[in-house]
Amino acid sequence: MATITIDPVTRIEGHARITVQLDEGGEVQNARFHVTQVRGFEKLCEGRPFTEMPALMARICGICPTSHLLASSKACDDIMAVRIPETAEQLRRIMNLAQIIQSHALSFFYLSSPDLLLGMDAEPEERNIMGVIRKYPAMARDGIRLRQFGQRVLETLGGKRIHPEWVVPGGVSHPMQADQRDIILAEIPEAIRITRNALRWFKGQIENFRAEVRAFANFPSLFLATANDVNELSFYGGWLRFVDANLNIVADHITGTAYMDYIGESCSDDSYLKSAYFKPLGLTDGVYRVGPLARLNMCKTAGTTQADEELAEFRELERHSVLSSFYYHYARLIEILFSIEHMQMLLHEPGILGKNVRAHASPNDFEGVGILEAPRGTLIHHYRIDQNGLIKSVNLVIATGHNNLAINQGVVQVARQFVRGNRLQPGMLNRVEAVVRAFDPCLSCSTHAAGAIPLDIQLLAADGEMVDRLRR
Amino acid sequence: MPRVLLIGYGNTLRGDDALRPLAIERLRSLLWDAEVEETEFLSCRQLAPELAQRLASSDLALFVDAACDGESGTVRVQRLSPEAGDVASFTHHVKPEVLLQLAQALYGRAPQAVLVSGAGAAFESSERLSEQGQQALNEVCRRVPRMIREFLACVTNNNIGL
Repeated sequence: MATITIDPVTRIEGHARITVQLDEGGEVQNARFHVTQVRGFEKLCEGRPFTEMPALMARICGICPTSHLLASSKACDDIMAVRIPETAEQLRRIMNLAQIIQSHALSFFYLSSPDLLLGMDAEPEERNIMGVIRKYPAMARDGIRLRQFGQRVLETLGGKRIHPEWVVPGGVSHPMQADQRDIILAEIPEAIRITRNALRWFKGQIENFRAEVRAFANFPSLFLATANDVNELSFYGGWLRFVDANLNIVADHITGTAYMDYIGESCSDDSYLKSAYFKPLGLTDGVYRVGPLARLNMCKTAGTTQADEELAEFRELERHSVLSSFYYHYARLIEILFSIEHMQMLLHEPGILGKNVRAHASPNDFEGVGILEAPRGTLIHHYRIDQNGLIKSVNLVIATGHNNLAINQGVVQVARQFVRGNRLQPGMLNRVEAVVRAFDPCLSCSTHAAGAIPLDIQLLAADGEMVDRLRR
Repeated sequence: MPRVLLIGYGNTLRGDDALRPLAIERLRSLLWDAEVEETEFLSCRQLAPELAQRLASSDLALFVDAACDGESGTVRVQRLSPEAGDVASFTHHVKPEVLLQLAQALYGRAPQAVLVSGAGAAFESSERLSEQGQQALNEVCRRVPRMIREFLACVTNNNIGL
């Protein structure tokens, strides 16, 4: 038996490799997605005052610090048993929407656009963001502009784009000013224009990716996302809900520590990433997906005009739920549109400039859970403290952990569909990487990618001898 | 529109890497009002692709950074030109040369650019500069206003710049 190793997987956030096992005839037997970096934050936070957690957690990642900041603050709110002022909640929602916009724009325009614009089989030297810039400069400019918009909102509210500290236990540290609101509002029309253009372009390209639609983690699974009373797209409030592939509700109204009754976490010897599963069905059958695809499958409507129009069209892809993970890209664009529109609505709320933005309290509970929808999916922060308010234990369940089993199934499915024989072609293996990219995994919850990331694929014979190798 | 873009980048929690925000703060006070009006001051943790547009609308970009090589306490000044470099870490950090290339490719122009590196001595977790880091900061603050002044004078006199 021979093994192909893709190490590292490129154009994702963090460090990972994929192994593909071939049988004697060169057919794919199995494939695995391995995360090779360690998450240490759960341990290093022990002993710290719980009030420090939002600032510490914001350091967990340079891509989605805001999501961790918000989930952490919600967990601290829970420990203090406070209901934060309405204005503070709206401001937090705006910040979360900005985070989703900038992160989704990064995923679509920076990481995945080379595959989508230049083709899965394009030469690796060309199939990167610089290749996109050379051939499609207008689209590259739009991508940069859209991400810039999201980051500018984060910077305007949080003081800085990366690792903002404005969100605190009990609310936010200071109110929004009228000029800040007006700066954001002025940029919204252009952000909407860019997103609509990207959506129009993507919908026109779907026919060219029929094979990928069929094979990219396209299987029935459960879906997990945040739900609310009106069944609209919900990123910040509400409760957790599981639905099956036919969108039947299998678990609902999950709040606080009850997540532990439904979400199991499993470790494996070959990866540092935990695998989450739906506990009542067990590890084998409890595979579920989170993130844009899950959220759009679960909600009845988005809740904003233009996003609802796009969602209606998205729903026409399938009779029930949309199962192909290739459509994560599509769902991401619709969520950007929703986020911009929803942000605009919130900025026009009469109380958005209110001065009462923080509730103060001492700990009133020894345990707190903060849940919200991060760009890549449901994010759970769970803290326990001692009587002095010091952290006793931390459990973080991140979106990529929820998706881990589905990513692995997707890697197997794509490898079996596209990898053939003992002679490697870059396009074959790129598709194996691309199915991982569709989920937009973020493995950087403890470390950052730095420097040049080479690609080194080795094809080893059963006796360990290298029979082929591709490097870049 | 500011003609000069002054970008300081580095991590304020890593000792002498904090040289850049301190430099940006101090440089603002060292320039004449008219020079401040011609200058955009930007302090950031790392360089990201989104800066390309701002670069393209400037005539001179001065990147102020801390260096861990070279003689501690000294300053190195280096002209930069657009360069298609490493794109693997595009989402986190790009080199100044790649940023210039992005500005050129996407917006049709890249400014003249100079990297001013102050060589530090200590980059461990700390919010204080070392003695050598302080020396480098002083030297940066001595040289950069002069560079901005000379550039603006050249532009005013229709010369090509630095």
